[in-house]
Amino acid sequence: MIRLFNTLFRKELLDASRDKRSVMAGLYYALGTPILMCLLFSVLLKQLSSIDELQITIENAEAAPALVHYLASKEINHGEGDKVKAIRLQLSPDFQQSMQQGRPAVVIIDADRSNDRLQSAIRRLERALSQYSNEVAHLRLLARGIDPNLLQAIDVQMHDQATPDSRGGMFLGVATLSIILTLFYAAMNLAIDTSAGERERNSLTLLLSQPLSSLQLVLAKVVAISCFSMAGLLLILVVSKFAYGMVPWQQLGFSISLNLDFMLFAILVGLPLALMSASLQVMMSFMAKSFKEAQTYVTLVLFVPLVLSMVTTYNIADDYLQWLPIAAQQQAMIAFLKGAVIPVPQLMVSSVITLLIFGVCSYASSRLLKSEKVVFSL
Amino acid sequence: MIRVNDLYKTIGQVKALNGLSFHADNGTITGLLGPNGAGKTTCLRTLLGLLKADSGSASIDGFDIARQTQQARQQIGLFPDPFGLYERLTPREYVQFFAELNGMSSQAAKLATAQVLSLLRMDEIADRRCQGFSQGQRMKTALAQAIVHKPTNIVLDEPTRGLDVMSTRVLRELLLTLKQQGHCVLFSSHVMQEVAALCDQVVVMAKGRVVAQGSPAELCARTGKNSLEDAFITLIGTDEGIAA
Repeated sequence: MIRLFNTLFRKELLDASRDKRSVMAGLYYALGTPILMCLLFSVLLKQLSSIDELQITIENAEAAPALVHYLASKEINHGEGDKVKAIRLQLSPDFQQSMQQGRPAVVIIDADRSNDRLQSAIRRLERALSQYSNEVAHLRLLARGIDPNLLQAIDVQMHDQATPDSRGGMFLGVATLSIILTLFYAAMNLAIDTSAGERERNSLTLLLSQPLSSLQLVLAKVVAISCFSMAGLLLILVVSKFAYGMVPWQQLGFSISLNLDFMLFAILVGLPLALMSASLQVMMSFMAKSFKEAQTYVTLVLFVPLVLSMVTTYNIADDYLQWLPIAAQQQAMIAFLKGAVIPVPQLMVSSVITLLIFGVCSYASSRLLKSEKVVFSL
Repeated sequence: MIRVNDLYKTIGQVKALNGLSFHADNGTITGLLGPNGAGKTTCLRTLLGLLKADSGSASIDGFDIARQTQQARQQIGLFPDPFGLYERLTPREYVQFFAELNGMSSQAAKLATAQVLSLLRMDEIADRRCQGFSQGQRMKTALAQAIVHKPTNIVLDEPTRGLDVMSTRVLRELLLTLKQQGHCVLFSSHVMQEVAALCDQVVVMAKGRVVAQGSPAELCARTGKNSLEDAFITLIGTDEGIAA
């Protein structure tokens, strides 16, 4: 029983390892993704940390030199040419006069509010203007001997609990997403080749004519594919470690560093996922009538982990989603990286569900191989 | 020893097997002869338990294929059509894999593989990957796979299809050797010459049932014809689908 499994497993491993195209396709993902992420993160961080200068058209600027100076200190300037946003700030001619008399001085923002691309620029200008208005008002009250704090009925104080590491939530989400998806993409081509491919090359009927059970055959295939998925996982962890090490995290005050502990944790958490991924893809491939059809099915199925993982990454998960496979494992990885408490019950439950799916898919595949329709693609 | 008893099998709308009964004994070469679409392949697939018969039974060395599937399969060496080689494995790896699948320990399998490879004079190609093999080399690899675990029964599906004269000779000689060693050899074919040259027993099939069974001489005598070819045509009622 065990010896038969070993024989099958060794053959699958040998055959798959010589399938250069499929193995490389899986490894390219593991090798390329962290490097791509590293570049993406670097660009994103650069955008987040530096405030761009906002150029608008300021009319009648000489009417309020102090305001213009204040805006300039907030990187909002009058400009000309291509980079100027379609926002015009009109200062009324009697601006100075109104100011001196303590009456509201009129400024007009002339812009198209329905234009999405102007939204944040308009808000930024409004915020700067209202801050200026506040400062002037405070000074006026002080000049009249009134405590400006009277205007502040409540004092909102934000105690930020964020540690530097926890601030990188989105980055952590994307990084763990790419790690988990490796388990699916590295397996994809091999899973199709060993099932739909095996049938197309006519070796499946010969195999099934041998004294072995179809469950042994399926399990050998699934375990062999899982080995390649895990190799992909190991590769992406190592490459990620170096790639993320080169991202200029200091700009945001947190960092993603994958230490040895995390790698071991990821491998442990990833093992059930690898088995599930392989069994799911093998089952889908056997259900397909041809190699091509299998590729279509498997690509469609790969959408599911992608969605589950995206939901976790962008934190739109409902509470019950945290208990599902992939989502829970990813949450646990994120928690581990943040140094937060790992949601153990969720991780346990989802790992059990993951293994259950592996069992069900493997059994279903073995049933499929008993069906005349499937074996001979009738 | 292979026994097929009153097999019925419907695939879709087609009655592929329609009360098929015959037996193939040890120490004989039995040819399953019939025109295209007579049900030969369906018969062999049912014999191996890949298809389930609607009714009737088949047994190999006394093991019922439906109930004692694994034991029954262990008594068979299968030479399939198409061969089903693994392009990325070498003949040595391929043959040893099937030897181990049939219950041999890896040591015994290694030894048996080396023996069968040299018996078929394959030593030169034994460690080359099957990718790019000629049809003759493929045939030899498939043959080595079928006999490596020394099964009592060897089943061949259209074995000479696409082979050149040399390869056909190798195959014929081997089948005769196997017969002398007391194996039961069963092969399906629609090529008359081959069946006439090799078989001790001929099972003539048409439309999913046996039309006649006997030695070539008996078949000639029964139909009152001088040549086997005429005898076959008389038995089947038409010459459609038979190759001379």
